[in-house]
Amino acid sequence: MRLLLGILDRVRPIFEDGGKLRPMKPVFDATENFFYAPSARTQNAPHIRDPLDLKRFMSMVIIGLAPCVVAAFYFFGLRMLAMIVVSYAAGGAVEMLFAVVRKEEINEGFLVTGLIFPLILPPGLPLWIVAVGVAFGVLVGKEIFGGTGRNPFNPALVGRCFLVLGYPGVMSATYIVPGSGPLGRLTEYVGVEAMTRATPLAEAKQGVVAPIADLFWGNVTGSAGETAAIAIIVGGVFLVLTRVANWRTVAGIIGSFTVLGLVLHYARPDDFAPVGWHLLAGGLLFGAFFMATDPVTSPITNGGKWAYAVIIGAATLLIRNLTGYVEGMMFAILLGNIAAPVLDDVAVRLRLRRLQHEG
Amino acid sequence: MTTLIIIVAAIFTNNILLASFLGMCSFLACSAKIETALGLGAAVIFVMTCTTAINYGIYYGVLVENAPLLKTDLTYLQFIIFIAVIAAFVQFVEMFVERFSPALYHALGIFLPLITVNCAILGASLFMIIRRYSLAQSVGFGFGGGVGWALAITLMAGLRQKMGYSHIPKPFQGVAIIMIITGVMAMAFMGFAGMVSIQ
Repeated sequence: MRLLLGILDRVRPIFEDGGKLRPMKPVFDATENFFYAPSARTQNAPHIRDPLDLKRFMSMVIIGLAPCVVAAFYFFGLRMLAMIVVSYAAGGAVEMLFAVVRKEEINEGFLVTGLIFPLILPPGLPLWIVAVGVAFGVLVGKEIFGGTGRNPFNPALVGRCFLVLGYPGVMSATYIVPGSGPLGRLTEYVGVEAMTRATPLAEAKQGVVAPIADLFWGNVTGSAGETAAIAIIVGGVFLVLTRVANWRTVAGIIGSFTVLGLVLHYARPDDFAPVGWHLLAGGLLFGAFFMATDPVTSPITNGGKWAYAVIIGAATLLIRNLTGYVEGMMFAILLGNIAAPVLDDVAVRLRLRRLQHEG
Repeated sequence: MTTLIIIVAAIFTNNILLASFLGMCSFLACSAKIETALGLGAAVIFVMTCTTAINYGIYYGVLVENAPLLKTDLTYLQFIIFIAVIAAFVQFVEMFVERFSPALYHALGIFLPLITVNCAILGASLFMIIRRYSLAQSVGFGFGGGVGWALAITLMAGLRQKMGYSHIPKPFQGVAIIMIITGVMAMAFMGFAGMVSIQ
């Protein structure tokens, strides 16, 4: 590690003011920050006591995603590695371009977006579509709003929504059948030439209902990271316990989905499948734990968070069961993102009114 | 029942702004603050509901061939008649708002008279003819369309207030970023496509 630090210190002057590669300073900073804490020190108060910064926040999310990544590798093979690399490369290129041109830092936020994006895609998707999607998501979902922390929409979901609407055929025909046995597909690199099959949510519309145990352990088709409910729950509970993900959002989504699902299943059993099955199928858990809880795009106030979660839960259930789309989680979270600022505004107003009455 | 379906469809699946992209001008200009957006949204709901009802009466009572009041076929006059009805009605609303809510009147400024040329309102009346709605369905469509438009502009106002803190690249500032947000909103509303269908 000394060696690396030595190299960084030696090349530092080239990137400082007056150096030859001054415009590439964001790239140098990002490399340095990735391995070490930044070398800048605060000169006077306030000094930070607990450095819970964006970097640690994002590192927590990556640790939380680890079980899903492992599950994705097990079920869908080494192709996942290629998808992750492409996602980081294409999205990182857009991110770097903006950082260099706008003379800003490269943010750690992209580490999460670039990892989540392949996990919410069909595992057999052609790599160039992965690149197009992540580039669109980072560009339109984040960078033109000013980068990490300023984006009103979840960048990964903007990218995926673009792909679902733009390449619907490919997006629905590249769900690879998962591997099984002790090694799964860990030693294979398979693309669409392997057998593909519709997702459980799509098959349920034809009356074929996948067993709940398969949904729980992940032995079903689906987007790469969303199939194994057990991996999502393990990683998600870790995020909730470390308070990186807000429990109100998660509880609100799952609660509203369950209650509405029970009522509608009881009222019209032909149109609505049992709610326990729906909870484990598709991207509901993954979205609830990892995507809806994004602190930037969800409301800030607690009241706003509850309302936001109810909108997402209800919209997912309605879109899944009543529209032509088999999965509604992506649209639901985007709708929640759109409503988030208004919900915050309403929550603040209600609070102010109550304070005025008391005071 | 069909009226209820039409109301829901006009709000979500066939949102007049996000699916048909009608009424963009006042949407772009008046969505900077939530209060203004709500005020204008309420005005549009009111005007749209009432004008579809009035225009329905005029179209089927006078303009169509063998109408109860006039036997000649005058449907080619529908555009000019509809616009005249809407303009007259907006004048009425303007006087009403000025009398009862001067603050809102000043906040809306020039945009209240501009509802006259809000294409969403004329669009609602024309859709009602094209889709052959009954009176109840037409009023439902006008009301739902207005609510959908008000919903879209309120959500946009919230996003724009939040974006006040953003550091947007220069070429995208102003109308450009609003158009892009409208596009993403339309993408998200695509999720409702097919939930309930109107022709």
